[in-house]
Amino acid sequence: MGLNNPRVWVGVLLLAALQPAFADDEDAQERGARWKQLQESIFPKREVLDSGGIITVDAPPRALDAALVPVELHMSSPVKGIYLIIDDNPAPMAAHFVFGPKADPHDLKLRVRVNAYTNIHAVAETQDGKLHAATKFVKAAGGCSAPAGSDDAAAMADMGRMKLRLLGDFNAGKPMQAQLMIRHPNFNGMQMNQITRMYTPARFIRTIDATYNGGQVFHLDADISLATDPVITFGFVPHEKGQMTVVAQDSSDAKFDHSFDVPGTPAG
Amino acid sequence: MRSLLLALVLAAAEPSGFWTGPVNDPVPATIHGGKVIHTEELAALLKTTHAVVVDVSDSPHRPENLPATTTWLPVPHPGIPGAIWIPGGGLGAPPANVEQFYRQRLATATGNDFTRTLVVYCHKTCWLSWNGAKRAIKYGYRNVYWFPDGIEGWRKAKLPTEVLQPEG
Repeated sequence: MGLNNPRVWVGVLLLAALQPAFADDEDAQERGARWKQLQESIFPKREVLDSGGIITVDAPPRALDAALVPVELHMSSPVKGIYLIIDDNPAPMAAHFVFGPKADPHDLKLRVRVNAYTNIHAVAETQDGKLHAATKFVKAAGGCSAPAGSDDAAAMADMGRMKLRLLGDFNAGKPMQAQLMIRHPNFNGMQMNQITRMYTPARFIRTIDATYNGGQVFHLDADISLATDPVITFGFVPHEKGQMTVVAQDSSDAKFDHSFDVPGTPAG
Repeated sequence: MRSLLLALVLAAAEPSGFWTGPVNDPVPATIHGGKVIHTEELAALLKTTHAVVVDVSDSPHRPENLPATTTWLPVPHPGIPGAIWIPGGGLGAPPANVEQFYRQRLATATGNDFTRTLVVYCHKTCWLSWNGAKRAIKYGYRNVYWFPDGIEGWRKAKLPTEVLQPEG
């Protein structure tokens, strides 16, 4: 594409129009320094490369609800695992997925809390152990201290209930998307109860294991940045009809598990 | 001119007590019993006066029962050089221990001198600093400045900052 292509010019003009928002050098420097600090803490002595087209991360540039920011990850090759890091959250590591043999590790969706305007980094670990990072800047603030809801007790009562929605049709040996929903307040310990004016103690989902007919789909290490009622959309490859088993464990060592039929009973 | 009119329309009236509404609502243009100061004047004042500067911005609350596996690594908090950071000092209704810490910390910082110049700030469009300044006035400090431009205004003017650690 040359400069006589009008689409290129639209792009150039658009970039020019967006410039002021990113022109704050000091801001960019600080974000760079923060990412360096996080890399050293999370991936000590390892090199983090550019995304190299291996991973992209997407999120609304201006989130409607900072306590529920949807993040989408796309991977172009079958990676080993994914780290999701919300740079400016006080506990930046939101999720670490490790994919198993039954996974289709190309698309992932989840919802996170965002404390302040921040970069979100998605780091893919390839089969040969290389790290590739993609980034997205998100404007949202206050998601970590946002009250979870009016009633902590009600949120606890339903804890651990799960649903699995299959997106698309079952075709043996073909990748399939599924959406997992777990009821859990995922208290991050930074939310003040509006009535007692006390901080609700942290209690959140720490691990989720999804297996299909006994074969691992993914293992997730999660932390306090995952939103209330975690919703995770992931891919897997069912070679035969069977059962998706999900086991989740929270920071108080409560264990929740559920098995779902795939393809499942047709509705109605 | 238009933005000035807009600012006047948006400015809130001074509440009689502390503000207990949303922290990031529009703030008043005045503070009864104290003075409002803006960035340039503040930079000049700090050059000539040995003032006590207090940042009452929020600090993320570290949960007591966080598992050891959680990486707790809050973003460094830049402030006006030499400032003391007392999160909670500007809450509308702070817990008793927080309020007591604020009062005592001001007392030690000023050497119990109620004529010492005090500057209270947090962020732009943030009531915490208004409350924090109001509280200092209530304690009896007679030279209290409220700096509503906040750290955003300070940094916009390219003035130096230093990383502060929360106290209390």
